[in-house]
Amino acid sequence: MRRRTALVFILLTGCGKSPQSDIQYIKQARSIAAEWALVNEQASAGQITAIYASSMHRWLHDELRTASKSLSQPHSRYGLEIRVLLAEPKDTSPDRLQRHAAQLKQIESHLESA
Amino acid sequence: MKPDGPIKLVSQLLDLPIVDSDGCYCGIVDDVELTGTPGQLLKVKSLLVGPGTYRERLPNWAFGLVRTVAGDHIARVPWSKVRSIGSTVRLSVPGGTLGLLKSEVRVERFIPHKGAF
Amino acid sequence: MNPLELTLGIMTAVGGFVDISELVFAAKAGSTFGFALIWVFAFSTVGIIVFSEMSGRVAAVAKQPVFNLMRHRLGLKLGLVVLAASIISNLITCAAEIGGVALILNYLTGAPYLPMTIAVTLGLIVSIWVLPFKWIERAYGLLGLFMIIFAVALFANHPPWHELASGFVPQVPKGLSTKELLNFGYFAVAIVSAVMFPYEVYFYSSGGIEEGWGPKDILTNRLTSILGMGLGSLLAISILANSAILFGPVNVDPEIPGSVALEAAIPFGKWGLVIALLGMLFAVAGAGVETCLANAYSIAQFFGWQWGRHKKPWEAPRFTLTWIVLFLAALVLVLTGVNVMTLVEFAVLFSILVLPLTYLPLLLLSGDREFMGQYANGSTTRALGWFYFGIVAAAAVAALPLYLLTSGGNG
Repeated sequence: MRRRTALVFILLTGCGKSPQSDIQYIKQARSIAAEWALVNEQASAGQITAIYASSMHRWLHDELRTASKSLSQPHSRYGLEIRVLLAEPKDTSPDRLQRHAAQLKQIESHLESA
Repeated sequence: MKPDGPIKLVSQLLDLPIVDSDGCYCGIVDDVELTGTPGQLLKVKSLLVGPGTYRERLPNWAFGLVRTVAGDHIARVPWSKVRSIGSTVRLSVPGGTLGLLKSEVRVERFIPHKGAF
Repeated sequence: MNPLELTLGIMTAVGGFVDISELVFAAKAGSTFGFALIWVFAFSTVGIIVFSEMSGRVAAVAKQPVFNLMRHRLGLKLGLVVLAASIISNLITCAAEIGGVALILNYLTGAPYLPMTIAVTLGLIVSIWVLPFKWIERAYGLLGLFMIIFAVALFANHPPWHELASGFVPQVPKGLSTKELLNFGYFAVAIVSAVMFPYEVYFYSSGGIEEGWGPKDILTNRLTSILGMGLGSLLAISILANSAILFGPVNVDPEIPGSVALEAAIPFGKWGLVIALLGMLFAVAGAGVETCLANAYSIAQFFGWQWGRHKKPWEAPRFTLTWIVLFLAALVLVLTGVNVMTLVEFAVLFSILVLPLTYLPLLLLSGDREFMGQYANGSTTRALGWFYFGIVAAAAVAALPLYLLTSGGNG
């Protein structure tokens, strides 16, 4: 009985560590990349204040770091993509950030359809 | 509603707010004290106000918490001091004369009397 | 009727509809599902209008606020459960609002977040101490009207009006996967409970008594409920619709409150951004005041203390001490460093449990002819009241499973 319970427990915790459980963090990272791109696009067009842009960079970066740390599979392809995104400088071009967002969207869609 | 007629204790009295003759809120009807003998009509003797009444109305562990935070005092409001009962119980005397506003007076000493419109 | 009489409804609604949680939530609803959730906002707005009108009417006729009735109708034990759940929910929400105001000040001025949370708390305490109730509601209500920039931005963002209008028709988008359907369900339930947050009703009914409402103010109460809540709803729907147009197509699901301000920055530039941030600042600050005072009202009314900001602080000493302690407790929660958005998720969940128990005594009492006389619920109000009570009861049952299945709406 105890062995069976332990087996169920191991299986359940094993299930918790699959890429499926990371979908919410991949979504978060994808959105952050897209928000960051939007902020930088508006900043280059002179539509937002420098203080606001700087503040948004800081908070988006914080959220991204939290999402990265929450991954159950940090050494996966998406874990690497998120780490690359984290290393980008604040004033990265919107196009580059949108490419990161598109990559993460692709991974997200693939995992959701699996 | 006049206090000398029959009343429904739970739906018309228990847990109603008490307002004194100066219009001050001075507690809730937490319990009711009755008087009478077997076979005769029961009459309300007094209203009981205070955390001490929760002993009969809450589980022991919950009352223990209440007593730690608020104490277990009980104030008695004689039925003769009740003027009327409606959405509140209205008294014919100031609440202070019945020992109902002690905590309010105690806390007031710590509140600065300035700076407010 | 003096137009300034509407400020109670405006403050209640702006603080209730566009507090820190709703700002991000409405934007996420728009970016994820386009215009498909507009009808849930509109539907829930009718519900909060019905219950706030009821609570205002009871305050005007019986001169008793919601929490006095709560204890009398539910009894001590159940009343204490509701009080405890309500205190926890409002305290967490108040902490989220304090954190939210500090965040917005950081976006506006670059001032550091943690010291700002202390400054914000002190500022809110001072504002309630110094200003009488009428001026508290006017200050936060009128300054919150900066939020109208989001409605103006909607016009400037050229929405597809036909599609937007069709969002008011009850619908579930076609072709959703099971996961997306569950997510849609979670958003719908969370919108219902966030729009019908109990603290709005506690604040509104106590505010009616603070204003000295009587039977002559029945019409004022009705207009205030309809116009105030209607305005709040319009602002929330504007935020949702702007997000559907601007964020959805570029893969943005707003993660932080600051992103919402982009809805006004994109069409109007820097001045649009600043006005949006000011609107958010005063709306969220107003929500902080509302949640703290709602808690203080509940506690004072439940135990029969003197209460109200129509009195000087020293004339209602226990009530005064209570709201100051509650603000400080909320500040302590923020200073633990917990994420503001995490706080908000827990607040919404807690409040869902309290919703049916808040509205049931109100529904029973406002329909009681012995209590309310000629001002008791008419047949339409009674029918709507019971219908929406059924809805919030169903939402209370569905909320926790949906939250767990969808990881809080993150799919």
